[in-house]
Amino acid sequence: MFVTVTGGSGSGKSAFAEEQILKFPEKNRLYIATMVCFDEESRQRVKRHRKMRKEKHFDTLECPTDLVHVRIPKDTAVLLECMSNLAANEVFSPEGAKEHAYEAICDGILHLKEQAADVCVVTNEIFSDGMVYDKETENYQRLLGRINAYLAEISDVCYEVVYGIPLRIK
Amino acid sequence: MILIVGGTFQGKKAFAEKLLNEKREDFTDGTSCAFSDIYHAKVLFHFHEYIRRMLEQEMSVQDLAEQLWMKNPDLVLISNELGYGVVPMDVFDRNYRETTGRVCTEIASWADAVYRVVCGIGTKIK
Repeated sequence: MFVTVTGGSGSGKSAFAEEQILKFPEKNRLYIATMVCFDEESRQRVKRHRKMRKEKHFDTLECPTDLVHVRIPKDTAVLLECMSNLAANEVFSPEGAKEHAYEAICDGILHLKEQAADVCVVTNEIFSDGMVYDKETENYQRLLGRINAYLAEISDVCYEVVYGIPLRIK
Repeated sequence: MILIVGGTFQGKKAFAEKLLNEKREDFTDGTSCAFSDIYHAKVLFHFHEYIRRMLEQEMSVQDLAEQLWMKNPDLVLISNELGYGVVPMDVFDRNYRETTGRVCTEIASWADAVYRVVCGIGTKIK
């Protein structure tokens, strides 16, 4: 089963995604973390998510870029969080795929899907605040929009979480 | 308790008027009311602005949802649904939109009903 969970900031999508992964039958659970910590705020965010995952027996794999080279052990359910960070890293970090970010990420997602029977990907809604951004940011929004559409297309189930309430959109 | 959320200018107050059979003149404005008014209000709109003002005054929002539930359980709250944009550059803005999300999520978990208004149409999501 491939599940995509999207939603706004502070909507409770991480907590919901973790509930989903616990329903899968696999013995092992792998958490693919995509955020690079560069300040105290991001360290606090990681700390908060780690606390939420404690007791749920996840192994954690850091993957800021290059998802396609991740090897998943047998009998493992995978939770990837968050696609918006992975996309930003591929575009903005020196190690990133830059203008090939879309292809690199889609290949990576397919690769996950082939290796693990059960996958849950968390992504983010960054498209509806009515602000006008610079070209770079706009390109990033376009990229994540395309990735989200791709994720939904290959997903069996897709949810948008609104203030803790999951709305099934596929 | 009822929570009504949605983007800006989606017709949330008009939806609330119809749903509750109340006039908006009787609604309390979270942008300008006294902080204590929320515990007596029937309907409070601009709840996100209320939270913003609390953060500006460096008040803790930790117990806000629980206090509302205990002191004013029949309250109807109307809030913009924030968090659907690019992560803001400013640290206060980032904290404001995430805190609004966390508070609304807690209120939603306790609410008897949650509506989301898009294009003036309210959908009951809980």
